[in-house]
Amino acid sequence: MEIKVRQKRIDEEKFLEMRKEVLDLWPTGKEVDLEEAVEYQKKLPDSKIFHKVVQRVHDEGRMVLFPRSGTPIVEDEIELVRSLNELGIPLIPFTTDSYTRNLQLDKAQQGLEESIKTGIPKLNGYPIINHGVKTTRKVVEACDGAFDPRCSRMANSLVGEIAFASGMTAMPNSFFGWIGGYDKKATVEECIETAQYLGRLIGYYGDRGVVITTDCHGWLPNGVYPMSVNIATQIIEALISAEQGVKSVFPQINLQGCMAQDLADIKVVPKLYRKYLDKLGYNDVIIPGIVGSQVPLYAFPRDMGSAFGYIVYTATVAALGKVDACFVKTIDEAIGIPTIESHKESYRSAKWVFDVVRTQQLELDTADIRQEEKITEVEVTAILDKVLELGDGDVAVGAIKAVEAGVLDSPFSINIHAKDNVLGIRDLKGACRYLEFGNLPIPEEIKDFHRERVSAREKAEGRKLDYYASVEDFWAISKGKLLGTPKSN
Amino acid sequence: MKEKATIITGTVGVDSHVIGTKIVSRALRDAGFSVVELGAQTPPEEFIKAAQETDADAMLMSSLYGMAELDLQGFKDKCLEAGLDEVLLYIGGILGVSPQDFKEDETKFKKLGFDRVYPPETDIRLGIEDLRGDLRAKGKL
Repeated sequence: MEIKVRQKRIDEEKFLEMRKEVLDLWPTGKEVDLEEAVEYQKKLPDSKIFHKVVQRVHDEGRMVLFPRSGTPIVEDEIELVRSLNELGIPLIPFTTDSYTRNLQLDKAQQGLEESIKTGIPKLNGYPIINHGVKTTRKVVEACDGAFDPRCSRMANSLVGEIAFASGMTAMPNSFFGWIGGYDKKATVEECIETAQYLGRLIGYYGDRGVVITTDCHGWLPNGVYPMSVNIATQIIEALISAEQGVKSVFPQINLQGCMAQDLADIKVVPKLYRKYLDKLGYNDVIIPGIVGSQVPLYAFPRDMGSAFGYIVYTATVAALGKVDACFVKTIDEAIGIPTIESHKESYRSAKWVFDVVRTQQLELDTADIRQEEKITEVEVTAILDKVLELGDGDVAVGAIKAVEAGVLDSPFSINIHAKDNVLGIRDLKGACRYLEFGNLPIPEEIKDFHRERVSAREKAEGRKLDYYASVEDFWAISKGKLLGTPKSN
Repeated sequence: MKEKATIITGTVGVDSHVIGTKIVSRALRDAGFSVVELGAQTPPEEFIKAAQETDADAMLMSSLYGMAELDLQGFKDKCLEAGLDEVLLYIGGILGVSPQDFKEDETKFKKLGFDRVYPPETDIRLGIEDLRGDLRAKGKL
């Protein structure tokens, strides 16, 4: 099929036409007056402007938690964000409910009304579209923090419109995240078009002096897998957003558990962002800081002691790497919906580590870390250069062709257009290696390095590592180990 | 008798958790079954349609978001209406908001018409063993 999308800024007239359709999706769309919203954004204090808050945290050498929040009733939401504030959290990711994310706004409305009637939350997040601008501004004004709403493809455009008009100053625009984990059937082209809309909206604010940040999450591996595809796809997301006028991007480092690899990624990711943003002419796009994230898809320990261990370990790696913000899960992640008390306990333990470790200003620089840095850099560069080559310099076209060709690929993805011909496994030191390369354009000498590490583990364990060994590694962290072991039959 | 038993797999409802059903599908294929893999976010009706079209012997459903009970109200009746009386129904995952009460979940889903119910972290090899036994009992293997 012919690829229509291009890496080209949507012209303003066309964009304003597109907006009408988006705002017509629900009556609260009428509450968005873009010129008034720009003026509202301009009056926000620095403490509500995402990139300024991140920059301040960075300059002060501190690090902060990056939790999740979202509950349907507005009074409860205000109480929740205020309590996060009291824990010293100045960056507030803001979760919308699943109906909103799937643009099932009638159901969201019903859930909201039932929640209000019974006083019990019936939705798993804040239905931002149904609440609209006037109500959501109350939440933003109720606390001293910068908001960053979470959504997925279907409702991305309208959620962005309402969020920014309400004074939120960041939002992920991670179309590879949709391909990896949220959207079964959308094509890569559809995902890019949706991301271009949000980028263009941020660009509209940007042209008028309002800087809104976009988080880049990339294609999250749903298994044990090296991070090079994730990092390359984050950078593609940043480039697509930058072309539409985004001026601030926020990389996410996914902490997988191998300290040498995680610390290497923390160092190398912002450098690679800078390299490709500059190479393609987006020199004025800033990277205010980076966020570390406990990689979301591994099974979580079910007992509280192990859960604390995993959270505290992740916090330690993040603190050693000096990230500016870090997302950790809660101790009851594997059990069900987290309670407010478990949020507090979990975050206190992480904060304890942040403060104690950061004070020591320890600089870790080992041969293993340096080696991992080099490998990540070579792999990400090879992948991105191939994507640009496939698109004849156009990163949007290249990204579509690359997924088709398996040049971009990641295991266990939800989207039917992903090839899923790749696999990862841990080596004897717990680092994630490629077990099956699929069609990834990894240079041969780096492939050999992965193969050597895999065969060393095979020799040590006296077995062939295969698909099932990869699945065992995936489960291992929930059992307090990095390497999986074969289960007895 | 068919050469191979045909198994339908997928994550039911609007649940996007896909890893479990992918692992189940691969393990079934490796164990010699013919697998119709519907993937994540599969409405119950699609399971029924696929089972009719492929003359399936079993459906292995995954669910991790706690709402399977809502998704599967009346499912067994719909299967019966569709003439799928002999199709085995298995489900596994986090089946309620409170997964500690697995026994309760098990009773609930057996009442809904499921032949076997599995808690999180079940070894797929165990499920395959059960499946072989159940298919043999029905004279399908």
